[in-house]
Amino acid sequence: MPRNKPKKKRFTASDLIWKAATGVAVVSGLFSLTVSILLVANYVQVTAINPLDTPQLLQLRQQLAAAPEADAKLIEQIRTMDLLARRAFFTSQSHLKLGGSLLLGGVIVLLTALRTARRFKPRLPEPQGPPPSEHYWISRAFTKEVLTFVGLLWAAAALVMAYLTPLDVPSAAATAPVADAGNAAADAGTTAAYPSWETMQQNWPSFRGPGGYGVAHFSTAPTEWDVATGKNVKWQVEVPLPGANSPVVWDKRVFLSGATEEKREVYCFDTETGKLVWSRVLDKFSGTPEKPPKVGDETGYAASTLVAHGDRVMAIFANGDLACYDAEGNLKWGKNLGVPDNHYGHSSSLLACQNLLFIQYDQRKNGKLIALDIADGKEAWTVNREKISWASPVCVQTPFGPELVLNSEQHVDAYDPLKGTALWQLKCLDGEVAPSPAYGGGMFFVANDNATATAIRFAPDDKTPKPEIAWQWDQSLPDVSSPVGTDKHFYMTTSRAEIICLDSASGEVAWVQEVDEGFYASPILAGDRIYAVDRKGAVHIFKTGQPFTPIATPSVGGEEVLATPAVMDGRIYFRAGKNLLCIGA
Amino acid sequence: MKLKLLAAVFLLLGLWTVQAATEFRFPMPEFESGYKHPAMSIPPASKTSPWVDLGLLAGALALSAWSVLRLRSRRYVFLIALVSLAYFGFYRKGCVCAVGSMQNILSAFFDPGYAVPLIVSAFFLIPLLFALYFGRVFCAAVCPLGAIQEMFAIFPVQLSSAVEAVLGLFAYAYLGLSVLAVYMGAGFLICRYDPFVGFFRQGASFNMFLAGGVLLLAGVFIARPYCRFLCPYGVLLRWASRFSKWHATITPAECIQCRLCETSCPYGAIVVPTPEDRPVDQRTGARRMGRLFLAAPFIIVIAAGAGYLSHEPLARLHPTVWLAERVAGEEQGRYEEKTIDGDAFRAGKRAATELYAEAHALKERFKYASACFGAFMGLVLCGKLIRLSIVRSNKDYVVDRGACLSCARCFAYCPVEKSHAAK
Amino acid sequence: MEQESKFGRRDFIRVAATAAAAGAAWAAAHPSSGTTVWQLDPAKCLQCGRCSTTCVLNPSAVKCVHSFEICGYCDLCGGYLQPGAKARDSGAENELCPVGALKRTFVEEPFYQYTIDEELCVGCGKCVKGCAVFGNGSLYLQVKHDVCVGCNECSIARNCPANAFQRVPVRNSYLLKTRENGGKGHK
Repeated sequence: MPRNKPKKKRFTASDLIWKAATGVAVVSGLFSLTVSILLVANYVQVTAINPLDTPQLLQLRQQLAAAPEADAKLIEQIRTMDLLARRAFFTSQSHLKLGGSLLLGGVIVLLTALRTARRFKPRLPEPQGPPPSEHYWISRAFTKEVLTFVGLLWAAAALVMAYLTPLDVPSAAATAPVADAGNAAADAGTTAAYPSWETMQQNWPSFRGPGGYGVAHFSTAPTEWDVATGKNVKWQVEVPLPGANSPVVWDKRVFLSGATEEKREVYCFDTETGKLVWSRVLDKFSGTPEKPPKVGDETGYAASTLVAHGDRVMAIFANGDLACYDAEGNLKWGKNLGVPDNHYGHSSSLLACQNLLFIQYDQRKNGKLIALDIADGKEAWTVNREKISWASPVCVQTPFGPELVLNSEQHVDAYDPLKGTALWQLKCLDGEVAPSPAYGGGMFFVANDNATATAIRFAPDDKTPKPEIAWQWDQSLPDVSSPVGTDKHFYMTTSRAEIICLDSASGEVAWVQEVDEGFYASPILAGDRIYAVDRKGAVHIFKTGQPFTPIATPSVGGEEVLATPAVMDGRIYFRAGKNLLCIGA
Repeated sequence: MKLKLLAAVFLLLGLWTVQAATEFRFPMPEFESGYKHPAMSIPPASKTSPWVDLGLLAGALALSAWSVLRLRSRRYVFLIALVSLAYFGFYRKGCVCAVGSMQNILSAFFDPGYAVPLIVSAFFLIPLLFALYFGRVFCAAVCPLGAIQEMFAIFPVQLSSAVEAVLGLFAYAYLGLSVLAVYMGAGFLICRYDPFVGFFRQGASFNMFLAGGVLLLAGVFIARPYCRFLCPYGVLLRWASRFSKWHATITPAECIQCRLCETSCPYGAIVVPTPEDRPVDQRTGARRMGRLFLAAPFIIVIAAGAGYLSHEPLARLHPTVWLAERVAGEEQGRYEEKTIDGDAFRAGKRAATELYAEAHALKERFKYASACFGAFMGLVLCGKLIRLSIVRSNKDYVVDRGACLSCARCFAYCPVEKSHAAK
Repeated sequence: MEQESKFGRRDFIRVAATAAAAGAAWAAAHPSSGTTVWQLDPAKCLQCGRCSTTCVLNPSAVKCVHSFEICGYCDLCGGYLQPGAKARDSGAENELCPVGALKRTFVEEPFYQYTIDEELCVGCGKCVKGCAVFGNGSLYLQVKHDVCVGCNECSIARNCPANAFQRVPVRNSYLLKTRENGGKGHK
């Protein structure tokens, strides 16, 4: 009869084994106890004297160092004491090691012996007394009572502890809130180095790229992709809050902001995965209004593009809040610049150069151009601005040196970026100006709908820039999108769905191409191609020069596009509707 | 253009190395004797592949489940525990650990920049999934912290259910505090106060050794005190195990109500049959229950309030708050001697006011977090009270799936087991 | 048991919990992030001595290392000799290292080579301080990965007043001072 092997015998008693095991257990127990006591004693002794830092030895050494001549007696004393100290240290070390192993061995023997003893004198399973019906209910009720009591006891203990041990840190009122500008001044020394112009060109630090005039320094951007099938789409993520600002890229990070009436947030995404690396909600700074000012629907509360500069990123919002974070998302400084007096909402993007951050803070009254030190947010210089605008500053390395060029109602103004002194001014604009300047072939080019487009040239041999109007053109012009220039042509994309190319030497129309949708995003020049995204997300890629030579018209999805793409090495980042897309391999 | 850029880069690099070289106080010598300096010893980190750890974890869990549910063998469970103790405990020094991994997972949620490798996620997840399907087989034999206590649990006694319930609350408090600490960025409490890891590495602070030793010695009689009354991960496993699909049963077949197993469980995980005679009738019971449900929100609010009020002592968990208080104390002369931390801070570039402001900002956040912690404790208390008030009638001796550690001790006590095995 | 075959409440909760736990673990995981280990940034280190006392191991996993390529091979070595030492020899009154772990050998006039006996070194950082104050900083502390047990929360990191500890990828687990990085320990 095949019979399953019975399970191991349980509950077998053996008095002999029990006795032997108990004996072993007692011995090993005593042994372990002794070793433990010795270990504790050793530990206490060593911590008490701390042989490597004996005060006496230290004192002797100082004595010797202070003495003009080597004193043989003193030296002998030091040597003796040092020997003792080292011996104490190393003996204690080896004792600890040996003691630990002995204790481990002792405990293993003890446990084995105890288990053996227990196994051979088992507690036999036996029926208990009568069914504890009454006891069952009493114990249940009792447990409930005890639990309630303990809960109350804990709450009371928490209160007593809170009352007896309050936190003793000087009040914050005596100090400025951490987020306000200036407090980070201490950090200033550590971040003195700022990214060079070459480094900026390897990134996409601001609205319309390095310098902000729409020229990418890579010519490897993709021309073919399909968002529907995912072809050549590296990743696509949703941006939590809305915003018309454009993506900026520094190293492995893409930065964006988003805001509603209640909340302002800055986001940092990973360029490789699209994963949200961090997102920060702006705290209130002193002067931050309870409610942001009224803004136009198309402007929104986060129209201004951020600027990334080295390990810093700065963002500004419609309520005048300006915050600076480091690459890890730690707030370095922040402030409210005063609520902008601006009927469509503040939309001018930030720009950075060397150690300075530039804010074109044009308003109906008290407009300003502000330069802040990126390290600590302190004002480097400010100049007053007469007229309102919605354009963004550009910074160009001209033959005359770096120039910070701004559009406003009526004027184009150029400033020295480091000092803020005015370099030149030209009156050639009109109306509510949102497009920012373009630069190409040594000329600036500005345009605004209902005004004229103007090419500004400079006498080549003058030491100081003297602007003059090269030519003007006054037909269909952009009212949101900014132009872009090459050596030979200027390109504009208008809200009326035209792409216009003007010859920069003559000011003649080279060609006009009509497309299906108008443009808010600005065209970007990448190598010999121009990328222009219309409001429905069709990306018109065409060759520079004459005649109009389309390359492709891929789409970034059906969502409305307000933001200008960031064109990097083999990649383009688009903000389309709620999404941030990375195109490329 | 490209050439220009390259030239610029070279120029920059060149300048930079020149600069770097000038930073050294003493020039590097040029040896005439042809001396070559020895190689630096930079040994790489342990070569144990994380996949080996993961494989062993999954394997040990599967074996443990198999031993408990199919073989119904305490001997095998014990052997697996020994192997786990040797590998995850003494060989891997306790630092690839499901219990602590919980904090890494939480960190990733509270701070999107915190990178958690897939392996750590798996270490957190797999024991939980096993608990959801097979009960706490992780606690039974795989967890090194459990295993070392199991070795010591030789003469276990049974605790009264009231003591068991009260001590059990500490595990929830520990869980709440660890989550609070991770949320506030105050570090990993579970790892810091792991009482047994010191034995695995033969190194820890004296106090941790003392705590571990006391727990192990107490564990000779009160089996597995850390698992039952402290382990935060055990709380999660307890929740998961309640819904386990297959769980260890005391008897392999029909319970014959012999009452022999009653004294076998050291963990209070055997639920005795409900007596027929209820002291209160159904309606009184329902009324009491209703009252408890009504009181629950108040209990939670009161607990949240207590938590809120104790935010200041709790804020000391955060190193910045601690440092701010210390620096302030040293400045106001509250302490006789200065600490390294205080000296280091004063030597740094930050202003003390900035540190205080940061501490206050943290304190403000602690208000909310501590209130949440208090509310959680209130919720736990209410949950326990409600569970105690619901009488689920059962006629047989069954397992409390939450409390049962699947240690397989009770199997030997069941006479049905023997006859079943003989078949 | 009730509801043996039907998909009951408990089954639902179990499936939901499985999905939630797996989802949480998956969401938390950073698939690209590999294993990391603790290392100390020599540029931040203040040589306070905590490395030798707060490591869970005894002696500490932090040891002094020596970048020979940036060493000046000085005869008068700030890391080897006590400040104000009267002679440049291994006498206890002159030697800075309290455990004699720093060894000095003659190379050629006037250069000496300094090597560390890691068996003895306790990571107190006394020599590091000496070399930082008067020297090229070629002696500095590093976590030795053959000793370090890789705690989830490094005990030294928690106690470091300079916040010099950080997690680094396991493949590149030392922040060594080289001539190229200007003795900073990293780029």
